[in-house]
Amino acid sequence: MEILSMENVGFTYPNSNDEVLKNINFTINKGDFIVLCGTSGSGKSTLLRLIKHDLAPHGDLQGDIYYKGMRLEDHSPIKRAKEIGMVFQDPENQIVMDTVMNELLFGLENMGYSTPEMNKKIAEMTQFFGLNGLLKKKTDELSGGEKQLVNLVSVLLLDPDIILLDEPTSQLDPIAAKEFIYTLERLNDEFGITVLIVEHRLEDLFAVAEYVMVMDEGRVSYIDMPEEVVKKLINHPTLSRFLPSTSRIFLNFSESNGTKQIPITVKEAQGWLENQVIHPSKNREKHRGENKKILELKEIDFQYVKHEPPVLHNLSLNICKGEWHAILGANGTGKSTLLKIIAGVLKPQHGSIKYDGKKMKKNYHKTVSYLPQNPALYFVQDTLMKEYKMIARHFQIENANEKISQLLNQFQIYDLKDRHPHDLSGGQLQKAALIGTLLTQPAILLIDEPTKGLDPESKSRLAEVLRMLIKDGLTIVMVTHDVEFAASYSSTSSLLFQGQITTTEDTRKFFKENRYYTTTVNRITRKSNAPSVITIEEANEKWHVQENY
Amino acid sequence: MVRGIQSFHPFVLLVYYVLIIIGLMLYQHPLFLLGALFLIGTFNYILDKGRELKKWSFMIGMMITFIILLTPIFNRRGDQILFHFFEQPIMLEAVIQGIMIASTLAGILAIFVTFNIVLTPDKLLYLFSKVLPQWALLTMLSMRFVPLLIRKVKEMMSIQQVKGLSFNQGSVHKRAKNGMQIMQMLLTNALEDSIQAADSMSARGYGLQKRSNYNAFKMKSKDWLTLGSLMGSSIILLFGWAKGYGVLQLGPVLETIMLSGSEYIYFMTWLFLIGFPILTEGKEVIHWKYYQWKM
Repeated sequence: MEILSMENVGFTYPNSNDEVLKNINFTINKGDFIVLCGTSGSGKSTLLRLIKHDLAPHGDLQGDIYYKGMRLEDHSPIKRAKEIGMVFQDPENQIVMDTVMNELLFGLENMGYSTPEMNKKIAEMTQFFGLNGLLKKKTDELSGGEKQLVNLVSVLLLDPDIILLDEPTSQLDPIAAKEFIYTLERLNDEFGITVLIVEHRLEDLFAVAEYVMVMDEGRVSYIDMPEEVVKKLINHPTLSRFLPSTSRIFLNFSESNGTKQIPITVKEAQGWLENQVIHPSKNREKHRGENKKILELKEIDFQYVKHEPPVLHNLSLNICKGEWHAILGANGTGKSTLLKIIAGVLKPQHGSIKYDGKKMKKNYHKTVSYLPQNPALYFVQDTLMKEYKMIARHFQIENANEKISQLLNQFQIYDLKDRHPHDLSGGQLQKAALIGTLLTQPAILLIDEPTKGLDPESKSRLAEVLRMLIKDGLTIVMVTHDVEFAASYSSTSSLLFQGQITTTEDTRKFFKENRYYTTTVNRITRKSNAPSVITIEEANEKWHVQENY
Repeated sequence: MVRGIQSFHPFVLLVYYVLIIIGLMLYQHPLFLLGALFLIGTFNYILDKGRELKKWSFMIGMMITFIILLTPIFNRRGDQILFHFFEQPIMLEAVIQGIMIASTLAGILAIFVTFNIVLTPDKLLYLFSKVLPQWALLTMLSMRFVPLLIRKVKEMMSIQQVKGLSFNQGSVHKRAKNGMQIMQMLLTNALEDSIQAADSMSARGYGLQKRSNYNAFKMKSKDWLTLGSLMGSSIILLFGWAKGYGVLQLGPVLETIMLSGSEYIYFMTWLFLIGFPILTEGKEVIHWKYYQWKM
């Protein structure tokens, strides 16, 4: 049964001549699970908001959107609010109440339910999602995954027929993201709720989705089953990066002539690999840092509050010159705290930090720069240029103007130099903040979760930029839980667990020995007869594949 | 913990506190007041072993001392001179009045300490929302967003510190300037975040129709019973007060402090009214002792 359809929909923002959406036609049936993907700025979010009529952006809308056979605007607002639910990207900002219970009640109260009705609905939902323990908690104290679950449940309480999700997992760590997606799958399977999700992280979603809708420059270019979309996109210059690595590794090594099944899940990919004969080709070693220690942390203890257990305990870490050091670890293990200690913002209670063999000096801020998780918080001025000039004045940098324009050109954002930081996209904002951190010509750059909320395209551009900087002699310390990103680009990896660095190893070795905390490609190849690899690039280097007939 | 006094409906609790505070102000009689003070102290002890009260004890102590010492010096009405102080006559009536004022204030403060423990913010907000639902909603929203804003400021400050912007070093002018910059950025960020919050609110149908109000608390039969007996005893007390019982006559002739005749009835009713939380808590303790003993 058809639930939602668009007929010749086009959309233009006011004061703009560019059509954001062009001639869009599609039909969604009840109970479909649809993933909508495409590069940033392809109009995905605009499309989603047009469906949630009450949040539709201002502008010129052509064509018609039908919901349950009637034009969207002909339904009553209450019906629309109830039946079309929406979950947004940032888990934090969409929570409006101080306790979980009040948050869940918020929507129900808006709809004018009576107290016994609310009690019944909440009891039922909390049972189903196992939220019992959270009900009385403050929303502040929840983890990112729990917050997003609360947001989902508070929408579900209104009993929607279709849920729209705008990059719901982009701010979550991989494990929480996976759980969230499985929750969606369960909703779809058990209640037949139609799901339309916009997402960049497609590694798991392709296995769950029934249909994938691909948008490119304001048009829907494909809407098809996941396997078909994989076939069509594999040769696309930018969109091929969106595909799950299970399919990419397959298509890298065998011709897709349409006869064979393209693997989507890890299990399917393992099955394909079993039938291949793979010879290891010559091993090329990756560029590694020199073995000269630039930063030495020794037996660091740190706690925020006297009576609480320490965040970091007896932590020792060596960082060598010129390496790209990734520090991995689950949420709440103190990764960001560690970065703040290295940056000199927090002072450890015990232990020593040595820079270049000597104790930290006063001009430490010049040698170490810090790129925060949310680059918007980096700026205090209202244009990029003003910000750079302020930094230059503060650190008395010579030839500041030249350096600034050189960096702006190098990062290809010269045209944006007089914009307000908040008017930039995620990727641009990160580059802009990066320029600020590089102005002082630091020896060490600290990066906190650089890939949060970035699409695959921006991620690989960021990686290129950082690689270039490494070549120029910069040392990078990166805190992340993006396993795939760390595996593809960093040279050394450390695991932070229970306040200690438990292992520090060469990245490839590090991930090969892990079983769960590792990349999808490694999970495919771990116990196969092929030499185990952690990324597709590594497989390209090391494998020589012969088809087994 | 939802036992004893805290298990009652917020409205019943509010009525209790209003009655006690009115009672403390009306019953100006040393024995009534001292009895009340003793019971309020016990109530505090039962709730949290007097921890909260201890935090206030210095202030309450200071106040009592000042009032007891100063009232006799400034108040010269009465006819029973106790002694002379710098050639000023100190009257017995004034001393008694000082004690009464001091214990009234001490009693009100001490009962407020229990008020803070028993009527938690959510219960207060519940009562509040019955009268002004929109303001209650606004309060709840700010209870969520103020801590969020504080956390953001802290994060921004630590980021700016690495950049070399300092908030605790340098001249006042420089620090103020840096602080203002942070404030400005914080406002921009907060505005942007609030757009998302507003979207999330209207996505869940906020403002489409009149909101209903979730009743987290229900009047149980025990609440009605308690409300009845509280009201009943306070009507008796009001009646007694109107007839002049429970108020010590200071002039023209000082009344004897000892109680007499039907005044005992009002005294007992007064003690019952104040001591009602102690009764419920005591019942709970006995109940548990008995329960464990039976196991």
